[in-house]
Amino acid sequence: MFPYSEASWSVVDGAMFMGWGTALPGITTLIAAAICVFVLVVGQSSEARKSSKF
Amino acid sequence: MESQIAELTAQIAALQGSAGVTNTMFAETFYYLTIPLMIIIHAGFLAYEMGASRAKNVLSSGVKNLLAFAFMIPTFYFFGWWVYWGFPTGLTFSEGPAGISGAAYASAIAWGWGDSAQYMGPNIADQASGVFFGAFALFAATTASIMSGAVIERIQTVGFVILAVILGSFAWVVAAAWGWHADGWLVTQFGVHDFGAAGLVHAVAGFFALGVLINLGPRIGKFNADGTANHIAGHNLPLTVIGLMLIIVGFWGFLMACVIVPGEAWSWFGDKPSTIYGTPITLSALAFNILMAIAGGIIGAWVMTKDPFWMMSGALAGIISTASGLDIYYPALTFIIAFSAGVILKFCADWLERRGIDDAVGAVTVHGTIGLYGVVLLGIFGSGYPALQGAAGEVPTISLIGQIVGAIVFFLLGFVPGYISSYILNMLGMLRVPAGAEEAGMDTVKVPAQGYPEGIAQSAPPAE
Repeated sequence: MFPYSEASWSVVDGAMFMGWGTALPGITTLIAAAICVFVLVVGQSSEARKSSKF
Repeated sequence: MESQIAELTAQIAALQGSAGVTNTMFAETFYYLTIPLMIIIHAGFLAYEMGASRAKNVLSSGVKNLLAFAFMIPTFYFFGWWVYWGFPTGLTFSEGPAGISGAAYASAIAWGWGDSAQYMGPNIADQASGVFFGAFALFAATTASIMSGAVIERIQTVGFVILAVILGSFAWVVAAAWGWHADGWLVTQFGVHDFGAAGLVHAVAGFFALGVLINLGPRIGKFNADGTANHIAGHNLPLTVIGLMLIIVGFWGFLMACVIVPGEAWSWFGDKPSTIYGTPITLSALAFNILMAIAGGIIGAWVMTKDPFWMMSGALAGIISTASGLDIYYPALTFIIAFSAGVILKFCADWLERRGIDDAVGAVTVHGTIGLYGVVLLGIFGSGYPALQGAAGEVPTISLIGQIVGAIVFFLLGFVPGYISSYILNMLGMLRVPAGAEEAGMDTVKVPAQGYPEGIAQSAPPAE
């Protein structure tokens, strides 16, 4: 996933993270955001279930 | 005209000299500040271990942790620093391609006697050796502290110190020489990349602890006759959780110390920082990725456990699972990987416990299993990245096979010395305290002080 065609650091003059120049950064950002929302939904459901016993 | 040129030349030379002094002072200060930051890791481990101990063992756990730190510094000075510079090319002790390794090189800069001693003490012409040594000595102390938590409440003090020295001043240092050095054979031949030491610090220490735990055995009362495990709660979970957060604070110093600053004779670049391999990095990359890793690990552990101990362990696991590639991961990907580490953490710890291993703080899982998980994952995501400086085709690249080879070597460099050395100590009767002493409590046996002389005291009434 090296974002430059030549596998050498001498050609790197800017962004150097995995997937730069492809859709990967956007896709991973979307997945990360979805994880946050999913976790909050699951967390709310779990807490509500436990709270209802009292 | 000539006099003006001469004056300008003198002014340029003065400016260059001044800039050089500033850069050198910056470089020295940069590493110097990593040392107290990394000592915060030890403040954290101290609180973490003492909180995870029952009240009858709280001070002896602290004594053990303090001694690990104290013995690590001189032994790393005596021979650990030499091992790092002498071992990179393997057991040949020859000089590597970068010319900064081998027995002769190590003996010229890292021995505390002869001509080499000039680099091992105060020297107005050397503003680098001491701060580099200090940062590495603190890496060493971190490995000992990782092992320390796993073995609390039943290990003998001197036996533990011997194990800590073997781990901190030898085993992990060999791993660092092989996989965290521009001349290291794992790097030059397999393209192994482990920027933040997930494998060579965390996994080595975690699996060293596993080797010790097999010979040490579980605490009395940990397992029932049918093999099921009991939870032995520490006496102060809040102290443990705060200790874990302090470890996270110290990690910033740990990872900062993994960066080579520019502009010095020993720097890789004149104009930009680099990793220890000579590949470019920025502190901004670390800021993005460490923060996302902490967050991902906490969230992953929360959704699975809801337990603050595992949530903060998840923060550690988040950093460790991404440490190998903190220089090149995209932050959202870091978050996803760290989240996955937080999710699998408790499951991995439970699996180990079902095998009869009593790891009191989950060190084998958090540091060992997750460390190797991170090393291997980088082989999937970072495949194709150049592992060193150099022209395309002339330097190795990161690959899944290379990272797996690195993971296997790191596992063996931890587990084998841990198992063998603890086996020998066990034969010599130096590993475990007698059952009566364990039941009485290690503080009563070993420590001439009381952790809580008033018990958990009730507050005095407030003033009117």
